[in-house]
Amino acid sequence: MTEASARFHRSVAEALADPHLRQALDRTTGRLAGGLAKAFATIPDAGALRDTARRIRAHTIAHLDQHLDQFERAATARGCHVHWAPTAADATRLVVDIARARGVSLAVKSKSMVTEEIELNAALGAAGVRVVESDLGEFVVQLADDRPSHIIAPIVHMSRDDVARLFEDKLGARPDEVADIPAITAFARRTLRQEFLQAGMGISGVNLAVADTGSLCLVTNEGNGRLTTTLPRVHVAVMGLERIVPTAADLGVVLQLLARSATGQALSVYTNIITGPRRPATSDGPGEPDGPDELHIVVVDNGRSRLLGGELAEILYCVRCGACLNICPVYHHIGGHAYGGVYPGPVGSVVSPGLMGLDEWSELPHASSLCGACRDVCPVRIDLPRLLLNLRAQTVAARMGPAWLRIAMPLYAAIATRPVLYRWLGSLAARLSRMMGHDGWLDRLPGPLSAWTTERDFPVPAPRSFVQEHHAHAPRAGGCE
Amino acid sequence: MSAAARAQIFDSIRRGLVRAVLPDAAGSRPTPEGRSSPPSASADALEAFTRALTALTGRVHRAAAVDMVPDLVAAIAHEHGARGFLAWDESHLGVPGLFAALASRGLERVDYDLPFDAASREAHALALAGVGVGLTGADAAIADAGAIVLAHGPGRGRLASLLPPAHIAVLSARQIWPTMPDLLAARPGLLDAGSNLVAIAGPSRTADIEMTLTHGVHGPKYLHVIVVP
Amino acid sequence: MTRPTRVQLFVTCLVDRFYPSVGHAVVAVLERQGLDVSVPMDQTCCGQPAFNGGFTDDARRMARHTVDVLSASPDPVVVPSGSCADMIVHRYPELLADDAAYAARARDLAARTFEFTQFLVDVLHVSPAAEPDGPRLAYHASCHGLRGLGLVEQPRQLLRAVAGDRCTDLPGAGICCGFGGLFAVKLAGISAAMLASKIEAIAESGADAVVATDVSCLMHIGGGLHRRGSRVRPLHVAEILAGTRHD
Repeated sequence: MTEASARFHRSVAEALADPHLRQALDRTTGRLAGGLAKAFATIPDAGALRDTARRIRAHTIAHLDQHLDQFERAATARGCHVHWAPTAADATRLVVDIARARGVSLAVKSKSMVTEEIELNAALGAAGVRVVESDLGEFVVQLADDRPSHIIAPIVHMSRDDVARLFEDKLGARPDEVADIPAITAFARRTLRQEFLQAGMGISGVNLAVADTGSLCLVTNEGNGRLTTTLPRVHVAVMGLERIVPTAADLGVVLQLLARSATGQALSVYTNIITGPRRPATSDGPGEPDGPDELHIVVVDNGRSRLLGGELAEILYCVRCGACLNICPVYHHIGGHAYGGVYPGPVGSVVSPGLMGLDEWSELPHASSLCGACRDVCPVRIDLPRLLLNLRAQTVAARMGPAWLRIAMPLYAAIATRPVLYRWLGSLAARLSRMMGHDGWLDRLPGPLSAWTTERDFPVPAPRSFVQEHHAHAPRAGGCE
Repeated sequence: MSAAARAQIFDSIRRGLVRAVLPDAAGSRPTPEGRSSPPSASADALEAFTRALTALTGRVHRAAAVDMVPDLVAAIAHEHGARGFLAWDESHLGVPGLFAALASRGLERVDYDLPFDAASREAHALALAGVGVGLTGADAAIADAGAIVLAHGPGRGRLASLLPPAHIAVLSARQIWPTMPDLLAARPGLLDAGSNLVAIAGPSRTADIEMTLTHGVHGPKYLHVIVVP
Repeated sequence: MTRPTRVQLFVTCLVDRFYPSVGHAVVAVLERQGLDVSVPMDQTCCGQPAFNGGFTDDARRMARHTVDVLSASPDPVVVPSGSCADMIVHRYPELLADDAAYAARARDLAARTFEFTQFLVDVLHVSPAAEPDGPRLAYHASCHGLRGLGLVEQPRQLLRAVAGDRCTDLPGAGICCGFGGLFAVKLAGISAAMLASKIEAIAESGADAVVATDVSCLMHIGGGLHRRGSRVRPLHVAEILAGTRHD
């Protein structure tokens, strides 16, 4: 087993043994999944809308170069600076350079997966820029020096007491200032409001960009996304190069599904659509009284275009709602951290190996029972099980995974395509295991299969197979009732 | 570096597109359908909007006539203990003489224009942070989401709906659309009317801690929509 | 399709080796419908363990074998497993799409392959008679049948007809039990945690038996129940139906 595989199995075991995490996941994932079902029940043509959204995303990705080109021209025409970053390092260097050139020492940030992916905070920190996460959950994660456990709910793994203690330790809060959740929230508002007012730069991700107007759409519930993109004089938006839709009408369709899928809301509290920096005064009239004077858009590739050139390209349709996490029974039991990457859950099990290669991420595609709940819930109907199966085939082709299986599976296939041998070996195995079983059950299986019997028994095979009995005209059992 | 980086990315995308497996990408571009005509001022739409926003703890006030708006605004502002207010220019609120009427009720508009210079910008913003209420118009509303839609631009600042603890928006009953896709399909130009279009569905909220809903974490804790005929 | 007179039974490797009584129950139910049931002798495994494990070439070999075995006759194929039926219906045509000798036969086989309850309800329009007494049943909706084949109503309709109010859905009926083939061995801890949730739901239901369309799930759930000393029995839907009259 490789070091990366061992690490994954260790973190899974730790997650499974954590009763607190269990409780938090029970509380959140079930509620989010339930909210989704209710929210979809309120749109009469949800199925058709999902089909349309899927076709919009599919068509956009299939013409990605044209849409990006159009987006760049439209955004530039409205005063944006568009930057292109082939790698994570390029992206962070671009942002650091912008910060340096403007003398920025404090930046506020609105939650964004892609900035986690490129590890922007660390790069800015090293360049002497303090970065404050402004989403409440991300702010807590940052204070705790932790990682977000969920795309939508970053601190599902923490209790209110955990947060209160953290605010006391790190921010000097008095116990009465963090006595309950509203107090904790108000304390965070006061603390973060100061940071917003002082920050020289606001950093955000981009949920969706609109090609024909060069617009950026950011959805948040707290309003931190709006403050981040309004108060500081420089706004830097970092976007994965696939987060694009052609027009405002296309954006409308995706928005009708996005918040419903993420949190069960019809729309997030703030659907914030930004088209260029603040518009200056002209001879016709005054300019806008607020908003950033500079807007930089950093378009990040970091493996996406390579992903596009293969069988996993469908994952680029993803709109990052997190619905596949909330519905996933595996996620429900291990939470986000165990997945190891920035993107957890079924989508992460495709995106992490897809963007960063299978060497470090070969276990993730196998961490699924292939139940298909993720495919059913996806607002753009991404066939996640198909993508996981494709990655599994890649791990086998690369001779990754357990050695015993690489021997056992071809052997099994060889036997299963030789019916006489198959029947004979089946009978032999049945006889052997009947000698080891009690009352029709085995409580211990040999070798790698012993993992089955750690927590469940295994039935002893029947003395004669059904096919053999049937062809021998054995007495037919009429059922058991 | 930038031109080379751009070329590198576009080359890589174009090479990828040759081999990409993209289910359901074939065929012509899908055209999202929305209602192409403006929505009617139906009582149903207003009912649905009111129901949805109220469920989000937003409050809907119906003004029988435009000249009732000053009293409503003043009452709400006083409820929140506000003396000053941030606002869009009067011409964008659809209520003639509103600011004078509010001034006579003890409410003064705090005007602003954020400067670019870092130090004075901070001082300026700091001064705005204490204002108790924000007053804006609304360009549209979304019935199924209980959302109001604000196109920010010249004379229509963003901070009025963002910085104070309470936000009051004046909405015309004729501008209620059934859904977001309906609005954006019919009025795509809204995106480009200014630098910022925002749909606001209720007061600022978070459920990050233990999935417990809490309001006013960053944006306004209270949202009032005054619907005028 | 028109009502057939003959069917082939692809019984699945797990029924064949571990639960022959389920196979006999399926035959009994089908014969009671006046069908001539044949059981091709050389059938083995559909290849799903290999396919789901990423062993595509091995899966393809097993798929070709199964196509050969089930193409000796043009009769419809009945499979008492949503998972294995889904493999034949949806995966075989993909797996063998580029195989000149097999692509068309795989598509043909896919078109005449049915999961057991799907065949009873959609093709034979069976409505089993009510059985006034019997155990309280809780239904678990197996994943691949539910989401791959869309088996939402068929199994429930049959069980409701037989057991009426004695049959309910398990709480979270459509949530995976954690079997997932090799998943149960490769990530046994996660699988066992999923199983534990399923068993909690079974206990909560108060049922005497848990019913499903797939013995793979039942083997997994049954193994967990047995380890815990539970008296709740796992039953295949065919075993319920075989105990009743069918008109």
